Amino acid sequence: METIIKAKNISKKYKIGKNNFVEALKGVSVEIKKGEMVAIMGPSGSGKSTLMHILGCLDRPDEGEVYIDGKRVDNLKNKEINEIRSKRLGFIFQGFNLIPTLLAIENVSLAAEYAGAPKMKSKKLSEKVLEKVGLKDRMRHKPSELSGGQQQRVAIARSLINSPVVILGDEPTGDLDTVSSDEIIQMMRQINKETGTTFVLVTHNPEVAKVCDRTINMRDGKIVS
Amino acid sequence: MRTLKNVFRKKIRALLTIFGIVIGVFSLVVMGAMAEKMTLLVGGGTKFYKDKITITAGDYSSIMTSPLSIEKLDQLRKVEGVKEVSGGVTMILDKELSSVQMGVPAMIEGNDGKGRELDRKDFPMIMAKGRELRDDDIGKAVVGIDLVKKLNADIGKKIKVRDKEFEVVGIRDKTFTIPDTTVRIPFAESQKMFVETLPEVLRANIDPSKVITGATVYAADGVNADDLAKKIESSVKGIKATGPKKFQEQVTSAVAIFNAIIFGIAMISLLVGGLSVINTMTMSISERTREIGIRKAIGASNNKIIKQFLAESAMIGLIGGSIGLFLGWVFVTIANAAGNESGTALFLITPRLAIGSVAFAAFLGIISGLIPAWHAARMNPVQALRYE
Ligand SMILES: Nc1ncnc2c1ncn2[C@@H]1O[C@H](COP(=O)(O)OP(=O)(O)O)[C@@H](O)[C@H]1O
Ligand SMILES: [Mg+2]
Repeated sequence: METIIKAKNISKKYKIGKNNFVEALKGVSVEIKKGEMVAIMGPSGSGKSTLMHILGCLDRPDEGEVYIDGKRVDNLKNKEINEIRSKRLGFIFQGFNLIPTLLAIENVSLAAEYAGAPKMKSKKLSEKVLEKVGLKDRMRHKPSELSGGQQQRVAIARSLINSPVVILGDEPTGDLDTVSSDEIIQMMRQINKETGTTFVLVTHNPEVAKVCDRTINMRDGKIVS
Repeated sequence: MRTLKNVFRKKIRALLTIFGIVIGVFSLVVMGAMAEKMTLLVGGGTKFYKDKITITAGDYSSIMTSPLSIEKLDQLRKVEGVKEVSGGVTMILDKELSSVQMGVPAMIEGNDGKGRELDRKDFPMIMAKGRELRDDDIGKAVVGIDLVKKLNADIGKKIKVRDKEFEVVGIRDKTFTIPDTTVRIPFAESQKMFVETLPEVLRANIDPSKVITGATVYAADGVNADDLAKKIESSVKGIKATGPKKFQEQVTSAVAIFNAIIFGIAMISLLVGGLSVINTMTMSISERTREIGIRKAIGASNNKIIKQFLAESAMIGLIGGSIGLFLGWVFVTIANAAGNESGTALFLITPRLAIGSVAFAAFLGIISGLIPAWHAARMNPVQALRYE
């Protein structure tokens, strides 16, 4: 099968003092195939989030190369990276990361507008996607008026709106109770099956890992298995 | 809509910032209205005097208007290059000039009418009501429109000019220049009135019909009025001749200083308003760091982020500017109404002032938002998302 994301020997250091660095990633290489659903697991501080950010073009590695759909992305200009982030990737976060002052539908359509769709079209499309994640009657609510599970479904709708090739999640079930958590897991798996969208999910939750095709284990900034 | 919502997220802070701009634009509008009125007055004056020479007594003192003998008019007429000479009396309407007087004081005017036809060619006198003064009128007056309230004037009504009663036969339409604040009375009566203001020792041996306070010389076609003024001064003794160039120099330099002070004050208050916009936008952006991270993660380009925050700061400027303009207009309207009672409308809000001040406020908002917005756009999305 086709490779959708490839990372070659990536390292990332964070400066935490004058001469003090944390090596968050120490030469990591991964390859993720199109349509795969992959879990990244490992103890806290092992570099999972850092890896996800770099694979998702939210951050750049200090060393190494990143390819998305065969195109090298780690050395691209901000403008081009933006374009990729906007049109080819979707994100789901632990804390949902919705904009608190915008309605559910506005949160979703904003992503479509940023990708260049006109306002009206974005709204229409958002309604459709929100309906698909079961929030037809909650569209005109603010995030604060929704439950955690509902908020995460808004975030999923937002990540889906531009039909990305990859959706990356950082502990998407981390803030949810088991019932909502299971709902979200099932929803992601279903989307993955129906649309062939690749999922890369950083998680502590074994239930997530269970539905995934495979699990990448990390420790101390390295992939161990 | 979203921009408006975002601006008012922190209501008190937004209102305070807008208030800062309001004060700035308010002072710009009020001060500017004063400058505009001044500019218009002076503009009218310099246009009127562009081919004329003003004659005053040589020992001209600023405290008292000095009398000039009417015989000077004939001497002036004899100077080569003079087309016509018109003598007249102008004096201040109020007996005692109040010390708080600002702008142009109301005047009394009477003249021999020799220049009337020449004047009317370029400056037709349009009457709002009634008719112009005729040479055979006695005890009649024509009132400038800004003095209607002060003198309680209307056609057929009697008004008091320096304790003497006159019947109003006409009210002049607005010219935005000196005639607006002038009462015109018959020449002979203005001469008598002027002589009465002179010290008693002088009054005794003066024939009122031989006295004027000044004259206007009309240059013949093709004669340079400034050169003619020089010639007049050297050939007629005891007078001062001010040509158009000198006249313009005198008034424009006075007005320039006045305008500079006025705009200086307004600019300082706007600068303070601008600083408060910078402060507000910086705070608002640091509070919304996480939101900026989210926006960038879902694909907002740097330009989009900059545009969003510039729109917000421009909105603050625009709202503040509009309110400031409105309050300025209210103030000016009230002040002019109050000023009308005493015959001095000090302010004039011109369209360019109104549009300019609001546009400037919006522009100020954009400029003040530039640095904070640029900072916001350059944030690393991961760092921004980690921000609590
Ligand atoms: N922005 C940052 N600044 C400094 N240190 C960081 C930063 N982000 C992550 N780290 C450090 O890098 C290491 C890996 O972090 P992270 O990738 O978040 O791990 P995980 O997601 O597996 O918990 C940790 O030691 C963390 O403290
Ligand atoms: Mg993490």
